[in-house]
Amino acid sequence: MTTLLSLPPWFPLHFVPASNLVGILPVLIVGGGSVLVLLADLAVPRRGNLVLPVISGVVVLGALGTAVGQWILNATNPVVFNGAFADDRFALFADFVVLLTALAVICLSPGYLRRRGMEEGEYYILLLASLTGMLVLSGATNLIVIFLGVELLSIPLYVLAGFARDEPLSQEAAMKYLLLGGFASGFLLYGMALIYGETGHTGLAAIHQQLLQGALSHSFDPMLLAGIALLSVGLLFKVSAAPFQWWTPDVYQGSPAIVTTFMSVATKVAAFAVFLRLFSATLAPYRSEWEVPIAVVAIISMVFGNLVAVAQTSVKRVLAYSGIAQAGYILIGVAVGSPDGTQAALYYLAAYAFMNTGAFAVLTILSQRGEDCDRYSQLAGLWRRQPLLAGLMALFMLSLAGFPMTVGFFGKFFLFSAAIHDGQLPLAIWGILTSAVSLFYYLRVILVMFTAVPDADSDTAPTLAGLSLEGTAVASSTAASVGIPAGVVVVLAGVGTVVLGIFPALIYTLLQGITVVHG
Amino acid sequence: MTGLFPGFLILSAAMFSVGAVGVLVRRNPLVVFMSIELMLNAANLALITYARYTHTMAGQVFALIVIAVAASEVVVGLALITGVYRSGHKLNLDELSEMSE
Repeated sequence: MTTLLSLPPWFPLHFVPASNLVGILPVLIVGGGSVLVLLADLAVPRRGNLVLPVISGVVVLGALGTAVGQWILNATNPVVFNGAFADDRFALFADFVVLLTALAVICLSPGYLRRRGMEEGEYYILLLASLTGMLVLSGATNLIVIFLGVELLSIPLYVLAGFARDEPLSQEAAMKYLLLGGFASGFLLYGMALIYGETGHTGLAAIHQQLLQGALSHSFDPMLLAGIALLSVGLLFKVSAAPFQWWTPDVYQGSPAIVTTFMSVATKVAAFAVFLRLFSATLAPYRSEWEVPIAVVAIISMVFGNLVAVAQTSVKRVLAYSGIAQAGYILIGVAVGSPDGTQAALYYLAAYAFMNTGAFAVLTILSQRGEDCDRYSQLAGLWRRQPLLAGLMALFMLSLAGFPMTVGFFGKFFLFSAAIHDGQLPLAIWGILTSAVSLFYYLRVILVMFTAVPDADSDTAPTLAGLSLEGTAVASSTAASVGIPAGVVVVLAGVGTVVLGIFPALIYTLLQGITVVHG
Repeated sequence: MTGLFPGFLILSAAMFSVGAVGVLVRRNPLVVFMSIELMLNAANLALITYARYTHTMAGQVFALIVIAVAASEVVVGLALITGVYRSGHKLNLDELSEMSE
């Protein structure tokens, strides 16, 4: 293997070919950044400064820049570490979405943490550690690396879910996430063990070869099928598809809103990246065996998520059930299996990142000391208090419902048309029917914001106009410095939702010709 | 070894089942957590058995990595369970349900 540069012998990783290190540069930057923030947390005075968020933001921007560079200089065979990790455009696209989400979350964090009285440096360390796991996962082409990525993603999130240490709901969320996440990891790992045992390999490319031979002779190994089933259960759990969704509503509702933002978007994107890589490339020879189960899970998720969301009284729970339904829509892209389906799923993930980050960002901005903005009554009359926020929230709700002129519309359009092209008409019909149901609860949020009169409960809500979204209690100059980035994030998410809804080609052209490499 | 091969796999499957049932029926989070560890170790046993059977090293490496990952998961998990206990909850999963619709 040719090396672009040779590292000096004192360098910690000098025995690894430099091209490998270049291939995982975003992972190295974010992982190193996590350690850097850990050290900086010891050095800087504890509360009320922006050193840690600024360092974290710079780290994520650096990783983003590196990923863009890798995209432009895309090598012909971008597989590194003997086929254990791929930095192909598929992985890089998922990296973009995850990193942009993380950047938005970091911009929202200082103001939110201050209002909620949770300004601890550990937050940023854990956020970056979890982000490292997501970047590992998006490029993983080996079962061992996939497992490492899943765990590196999950373990910091267990802690983040319980980050509001004084709040019983947050503790309950952390406990449930830990136990059910561990349960899912067990299934994932046992599935991997069976696949390894039957094929003798952990690399996805070698497994693919074994599956091809089996499929050619029409002998589907039952142990291998069991392994694939267990692996799918573990991954479906992570993407919160029904019937593996029990944890989602409780964890989304109990976790601090900013953590839910990160969890609901970035985790789902990373987990779907590995899901798509496994099913559209590695397990493609066995497609006749997994196609129907995945399609059934997709339909159950769409129906269950959308129907149960109607009955919720907590906004975070509504968004959690909406997330389950969205997982169902994306699973259509997996079940279709064609390159069209993969591209449509990737497009939907990007669209989902914009609209869901935006919706949760509005909730984080409205959250106050002691409690998140979670009840419909807290959104009541928002239009009169904060017209900009109410308008943007309405936009995100319409986009999640799939209204034309929003990015959500094209996300659904590409998925349904991919399903129809592939001859899977039922999937598209179920998708369209459940989208119609989803209008009910998305419109209810809008209705509450625009018509209801705020009750006595929400009189204490921040009543600031425009972009200075900080509560009146904190009226110093630092209030603006944490309020403005948060406002910019929400506005940018809104702009992205509209612009990509009018010019979907901006992202779709990026996706053209993306092929999934599996080592 | 080849004679023992199905035996180890059956033991591993039995361990996994015991763990999975334990997660579902036990109500003490510590015991549930132990059951999860049992599931992970069942997978480890399967990995090592298969490594011997297929004459590859990947399974043994995988098992070592799983041991390390499980250790870090235990550290975080026990800390979280302790935190929940300190915050005044009883250690019973049935009573840990303030959120439900």
